[in-house]
Amino acid sequence: MSAIGLTAAGDASDPIDRWFPVARGEEVVARHIVQTQLLGREIAVWRDDAGVVNAWENRCPHRGVRLSIGLNTGTELHCRYHGWRYASGSGQCTYVPAHPGQKPAAAMRVGRFGAGEAHGFVWVNLIEPAEPPHLSALASAQATTLRSIYARAPAVTVAACLLRGYRFALDPTGADDSPTDAALVASDAYTIRASVHAVLREAVVTFLLQPVGASQSVIHGLLETTGETSGVDADRLAVLRHHNAQMTALRDAAEELC
Amino acid sequence: MRPQIESLLWDDWHAVADFEQLRRSGRFVTTLLDVPLALELDPETDSVRARAGGAPIASLRIKYGFVWVCLGEPVRDIVEFPECGDADRLLGTAGSVRVAVSGLRAVENFLDLSHLSFVHAGFLGEEPFTEVKPYSVESSARDGLTVTGCRVYQPKASPIAREGFEVNYSYAVLRPYTVVLYKANPVEQDRRDMIALFVQPVSEESCVAHLLTCYLRHGVEAAAVRRFQQFIFGQDRPILENQLPKRMPLTAGREIPVRADVASAAYRRWLAEAGVRYGAIPAA
Repeated sequence: MSAIGLTAAGDASDPIDRWFPVARGEEVVARHIVQTQLLGREIAVWRDDAGVVNAWENRCPHRGVRLSIGLNTGTELHCRYHGWRYASGSGQCTYVPAHPGQKPAAAMRVGRFGAGEAHGFVWVNLIEPAEPPHLSALASAQATTLRSIYARAPAVTVAACLLRGYRFALDPTGADDSPTDAALVASDAYTIRASVHAVLREAVVTFLLQPVGASQSVIHGLLETTGETSGVDADRLAVLRHHNAQMTALRDAAEELC
Repeated sequence: MRPQIESLLWDDWHAVADFEQLRRSGRFVTTLLDVPLALELDPETDSVRARAGGAPIASLRIKYGFVWVCLGEPVRDIVEFPECGDADRLLGTAGSVRVAVSGLRAVENFLDLSHLSFVHAGFLGEEPFTEVKPYSVESSARDGLTVTGCRVYQPKASPIAREGFEVNYSYAVLRPYTVVLYKANPVEQDRRDMIALFVQPVSEESCVAHLLTCYLRHGVEAAAVRRFQQFIFGQDRPILENQLPKRMPLTAGREIPVRADVASAAYRRWLAEAGVRYGAIPAA
């Protein structure tokens, strides 16, 4: 792995060849470029107008300027410094404005990572460009991505905090509106499921931890519920606020340990 | 206690402060080559004293409106510009700007022609005039680099330019952290305005860019020159601060140059051959 772009190394125990969520899909909006970091590497995430998501090394191979300050035209990304253009998908340079008549060499290509979308998240694998994982906990459930929360604590600390206990309400807007202890299952170091259930109703929050670097992480959450929901927007907002408050408390507890 | 910094930099002069600013504030602290400096004006004699840590600095001079110091034993003089003596020129400091990147990257950016149409669009370049025509570079171990024959279409080449025209540029890299630009004056197109960039290496990954302008007077006001140069440099700064890594790689192939970058490529080669390591990721 190149030292370029490493601002903080990931924890030595973090696996490189693995899929991690890096953003909610709805945050990667058209014509924007999202800057994120995974295991100490900066990544520029952007969606083309056909909907395809790219996860690129966040530096132009020409002079190292962050591509996230560039321009997303819907088919290409333009570097802010010299206007070099890179095609969605291949990352190949298509045009160098300083030499308009010349075809850019094959070596003029940005570093790409595996990228895909599943369960409302954009996933990145630093090694393998393959398919992101399938992780639905509940068949035919209603799924909602919760607001992702940045933590100044490594993923391992967040996971440890979470496994000590997590509470949330099965139905924040209805009968079961008080938080109760969730049953916790860790499928691996970065994926922990918290579930609460009652008769004919169940809610599961799948926590997906993004190791940003040695001392930071992002807590992503996917909420799945079965049973009746009111379908009222005000209720939906109240549910999101409830989970946001619980996840914020988790973040605070993890940061306290650092 | 001398840090492991090459003599080429340690035993050379570096601009560290704008003298007029120091006159106003009386005191100024800064850092050169990772060494903290404290400058103090003696109002009685209008002279400057400098200390590095606790120790007085013997090698201190005022030149071109800047305070210069040498931390080691000066083996050569401060760079000399004969133009600065011309009576019909306006000499001025145009700002000292802290930039969170290696000073070598700041020098390279100053030498760079192909960014003008993008970073300085509407002033020093403009689409579709993005093509960089061939120019010449000469390199010598002793005298540095000379870059000549650059022709650039500029919509507003200087504070007094009223229309766009093709400007002739040339550059000289005189020291690892010193570069000067000569460009045709918009009124007397056979004479050249001069802008020098003295980069103060603060650390390997940060610098202060000191600008000296030496324009022909023709209706030019000092404040307008200063404002123009600060505006232009303000456009460069966010680009420079987004370069990764912050130090400049000297290994060929770590960053991909094209023909328009022959000046940059020659600069990197010259630095590598001269043994400059400070602010660089040295060639393997």
